[in-house]
Amino acid sequence: MRIPRPYALLAEITYRCPLHCPYCSNPRHYCRATASVADPGADRRSAHPTAALSTTRAIADKGELSAEEWKRVIREAAALGVLQIGFSGGEPLARRDLEELVRFARETNLYTNVITSGIGLDGNRVRALRSAGLDSIQLSFQSDESSLADEIAGASAHRRKLDVAAKIRDAGIPLSLNFVIHRRNIDRLRRIIELAESLGAQRVELANVQFYGWAFLNRAALLPTREQVIRAREIAAAAKARLAGTIDIFYVLPDYYETRPKPCLNGWGQRYLTVNPIGDVLPCPTASSAIPYLRFENVRTRSLDWIWQESESFNRFRGTEWMPEPCRSCPQKEIDFGGCRCQAALLTGNAANTDPVCEFSPNRTLVDAVLRDINSSSDHVRDWIYRVNPNVKSSVA
Amino acid sequence: MRAITISGSVQPRLTSGVRLQTDSVTSKSVLLYPEGIIELNETAHEIVSRCDGRSVAEIVQALAKEYDADAAALASDVRETLFDLHRRKLIEWT
Repeated sequence: MRIPRPYALLAEITYRCPLHCPYCSNPRHYCRATASVADPGADRRSAHPTAALSTTRAIADKGELSAEEWKRVIREAAALGVLQIGFSGGEPLARRDLEELVRFARETNLYTNVITSGIGLDGNRVRALRSAGLDSIQLSFQSDESSLADEIAGASAHRRKLDVAAKIRDAGIPLSLNFVIHRRNIDRLRRIIELAESLGAQRVELANVQFYGWAFLNRAALLPTREQVIRAREIAAAAKARLAGTIDIFYVLPDYYETRPKPCLNGWGQRYLTVNPIGDVLPCPTASSAIPYLRFENVRTRSLDWIWQESESFNRFRGTEWMPEPCRSCPQKEIDFGGCRCQAALLTGNAANTDPVCEFSPNRTLVDAVLRDINSSSDHVRDWIYRVNPNVKSSVA
Repeated sequence: MRAITISGSVQPRLTSGVRLQTDSVTSKSVLLYPEGIIELNETAHEIVSRCDGRSVAEIVQALAKEYDADAAALASDVRETLFDLHRRKLIEWT
């Protein structure tokens, strides 16, 4: 099989984050190695038992990759053909060496993008990122106004984000806004789009929540109803048409309501790679938690080139040879690649199954049962569990 | 197909946040932008690399001279390419 070259690297430089969004796609258990010692007081907000469990499994000595280690990763990624890097997390601003890494990536000729909550971004850091050569910022918002937005974030954040958006715009850094859409904010879509317009964004991503990490745990509270989805789709389509030429609107459909799966990653190990805070290299950011039985390699022990080309984890679902029926004989197999491996793993227990979203999947009944539960229930607002932070050993003081 | 009308005096530029670069793997020209990469064919590369403050008319003239080609025929290629990139918000003009 011909091994393709990667185009984009997602650099998850830390899992630390000042927000606690219940739909976070970060792993619920983090990686065993990121948590150093148990800290029972780390988050009293959550009574979730696995949070404590993860810290008891911790390997104390391994912390986040250092700036020097990240620079090696960036160099190796560029040599492999990567053209774009997204600095993400967690909250990438939680690392004081973000600017240094952006500068290095820019000097390595990568297109640099910071994906941030904006918390921690003051005028000085905006200017420092600008002078480091940052190409673009993606700023997340939780809703259009502070009471709901702050409730979702589990932190007082919305007003600070408005201020940050203005600072980014004033510095002349191209701004994209990201909104994760779910049951509690989907009815405000019109106002959310109005906020995006007023903030001078070039690009707006309205992404229905995808169920991985914390979002999978909180699915019953987050999945919108069919009625909500239909209304939102119309609002998004109308806004897209109205704003054509002004703002690029990307509306990401809620895939549980689709009949064909999303072409996840444009195929496993085809274009993208993720390096997580401790240096594990993942075909997809959610793979380490959704498919724990795959062995993921680490940049501390292997070159990125070897991992991309040779590792079992990257080759396991590359191409179409691994596919079971009904994918194997499906004319769509080069279009949707059998959907999402993580979703197959989370819903069926086997990552090599057809994505259960597909109407031809023998496991589609699993998705239908979830939709039936949401749509037949009258309790519109259900509790969710807020994301907790890993008790991580930071490489940066 | 819709007639493409772009005035010759328009000055096309890469939209803020869009970068023109050579892909070291393929040696081809690419445009990089938030969450996206497109590969340019040779014609598009010749046009986009001249979007540096020059007007459409000046770009057409420069290409006609360099390739010893008919300016009228080139003009429609240039307009079509610019229109397509403008529709994708990769090129803006003043």
